[in-house]
Order: sequence, then C-alpha cells, then structure tokens
Amino acid sequence: MNIGGLVLSPTAPLEDASPDEQDLVARLVAADPAAVGEVYDQHHRSVRAFASRLVGDAAAAEDLVHEVFVALPRAMRGYRFESSLRTFLISIAVNHARHHVRSATRRRAAIGRLALEPEGNSADPEQIQRRKELASLLTRALDTLPLEQRVTFVLCEVEERTSREVSEITGVPEGTVRTRLHHAKKKLREELSQEGLG
Amino acid sequence: MTDELLKAATRALNEETADDGGDGRFTRARVMASLHQGTVKRRTRLAFILPIAACLAAGTAWGAATGRLPAVFHAIGQVVGYTSKPSEPKRAPGKLASPKATPTTEQQAPPPAEPVTPEAAPVVEAKPDPGKAEPAPSARPTPLLSSSAAFQDADGDLYRLAHEAHFASHDYARALTGWDAYLKAAPGGRLATEARYNRAICLLRLGRDAEARRALEPFASGMMGYRQSEARQLLDELSQ
Repeated sequence: MNIGGLVLSPTAPLEDASPDEQDLVARLVAADPAAVGEVYDQHHRSVRAFASRLVGDAAAAEDLVHEVFVALPRAMRGYRFESSLRTFLISIAVNHARHHVRSATRRRAAIGRLALEPEGNSADPEQIQRRKELASLLTRALDTLPLEQRVTFVLCEVEERTSREVSEITGVPEGTVRTRLHHAKKKLREELSQEGLG
Repeated sequence: MTDELLKAATRALNEETADDGGDGRFTRARVMASLHQGTVKRRTRLAFILPIAACLAAGTAWGAATGRLPAVFHAIGQVVGYTSKPSEPKRAPGKLASPKATPTTEQQAPPPAEPVTPEAAPVVEAKPDPGKAEPAPSARPTPLLSSSAAFQDADGDLYRLAHEAHFASHDYARALTGWDAYLKAAPGGRLATEARYNRAICLLRLGRDAEARRALEPFASGMMGYRQSEARQLLDELSQ
C-alpha cells in the first residue's frame, strides 16, 4: 500500500519494515516533535477530511485532528506495521471521535432550533449552494446514527474505502462492516424521506 | 429516488470536505505546543516524583529496619484523625460512668486496665491493696504491637523494665523512672504514647497530682488520640 510518503504493506510484519520506517516509528514513540510534525505534514489533510466528514463541523474536526496527532506517540506503542500509517491515524481518529461527534451533534441541534444555520455565500453559483445543502442534510441525518454505523458509512461511502480497509480501521470483521453499512444506509434513507426530499 | 438523493448527498459531503483550503498550520502549531507541554509535564513529574518516591522508599526501609514504622503510622493516624485504637479490654459497664467510684468499688470490681481506670486517682491516698487494685495480667493495657514485636529494639528493654515495675511489681517510683528513661531514649518511639500515659498514672499513684494533671491534659484534650475519656475522668477526679 502506498499512501502519502510512507509506503507500508498492510500486512508487513515488523521485521520487514524499512530502517527508515522503524526509525520514524521509534521517534514517534519517543514523542519526538519533529517526527510528529513530519507525519502531520504528510497526513493531516486526509485526517482532517475524514474528521470533517465524520463530525460535520470544521471546528470540531480541527479539535479531533489535534487530538489525533497529540495521541499519536502513545498510540504508536501498539503500532506493528500491519497497516499504513494513514490508516492507523484514521483509526486513532475513530477512537477519539465519540466526544467530538456528540458535541458537534448537540451544536447542530441547537443551531437548528435557533434557526442560526449560516447562510451560504450568495456569491457562490447555484450548484455550489445545492452541494452545501445536500452535505448539510446528510450531516444532520448522520447525527441520528449510532457512532459505529456513522463511522462505517463515512469510511465506506463518503471516503470510498474498501470493507477490508474499514475493517482494519475499526477493528471489526468485514461482515460486521457490511452489516453496519446496510443498517446505516437504511436509516439514512428513512431520514431523508422524513425530510421530504425522498 | 431516496437512493439517488443519498448518493448525491454522499458525493456532496465528499466534495465539500475534500479540501478545506487551509494548510492546517494553526492545528500543527497546537499539536506541537501540546506535545511540548506534555514533555514539560513529564519532566516536571519526574523531577518531583522520583525524589519523593526515593525518600519515601528510603524512609520506609529505615523505619522498617529500626522498627519505628508502626509508630510513624500511628502518628500519621493521629494527625489524620484515624487511630487504630489499641485493643482495650472490655470494662464493666458503668465503670466509666461512675468516676467517683470509691476504692471499695475498685476492690470489688478490679479495673480491667489499671492505667486507664478513673478510679486510680483517688486510690493514691487510700493506698489500696495493689494486688487487688491491679488488673489481671491479661487485662493490662495492650501495647500497639505484640510484646515480642514491641521489645525487639533496644528501647524495648527500657519499656519492658518500666512495664514490669509498674504492672508486676507495682513499684510506681521505679516504674516512673523507667517510663522517663524510655521516653528519653525514644521520645518518638512506637510505644511512647502508652509510656506517657502510664507515666501519668505513676504520678497519680505517687500523689504528684499537679504533675499528673499536666501529664494527663494532652490525653484528656484528645491531642494524643489515646484514652481520652479515661484521662478526662481522672482529671475530673483530681479537680474534686
């Protein structure tokens, strides 16, 4: 698997990792800021994109990205080169997402109640406006899902990852991933119907 | 229709969040600051906790080696208000409630623990038969530790001598000298509290009321966390 600057086989055992990789991991475990900065520069975009899709809130996503990279040195103690570093970072984000998803959901609900939903930029073309509305609609529908189903839907459908990769990230069998995805999609369809958009 | 909408919404969310346009510099700075803060915290913890842990370990080892550890625990217990009271023998009900009991009463029902009986004070002048006034050996005040453990250190010999003079020979003058010697040798010893109390009883027995009162006051005030009610009753007796 070739992701970002780190090329790591998803099943590469520890002894197969290159000296550079092993050195980087050792530096990460030692909480070397330079190593964390290096990994951040390579992977922050994908982690941020996932965080934004999952929590649906830019500020909460930034908080989650921050938490992921701060937790990285400690989490690296359990890293065995069995997946890419980016996949590993996404799995850290999944593990730390619960609190951020909950707070973002609450915030969205409050904004909805107070009719404070920010208006789109009138300068944007109509298509961009429509895209924003759809994304916002899906984010609100995602708020109704349990976290496990939400994570699975975002990883499988929004990020278009394979069920095997999602299985690695979430640490559950592929069958469970597919089941969760099925239930998530079913519930999302119902939610969209209730919005009168089906 | 809903399927298409879901797909469209999914695509929209993907595109909306594909690139936020930011370079993440702010969050990078936050991450670096947090890591730095974490490093500083770890170093600070090490700088403080390691010496404290080392002192604690060394102190505990020293206390265990010199046999002073139980006394330290006892002192700490007194400070925090939790004292494992020495095992007091059961006394006859009503004995404490009648501090004005006469020497006759004492003879009829010998106090279970001679040093703690409030009746001991008035007995000084009456000079009752020591054999009757003294409690049975099994009912004597129990030190915090078993006697074998208590007498393992050098100070233990002094304590044992004073204890024998007090409770076996009933020679209160010699016992007083013994308690003083023990307290001089081990003012913070593990049995110092008991020794101080027994010394006060000796003073009572010898009729040195003023000194006895001064010696009992810390116990009566609860400062020593030991035999407070008995000391208070003895002081009441002395004041009458």
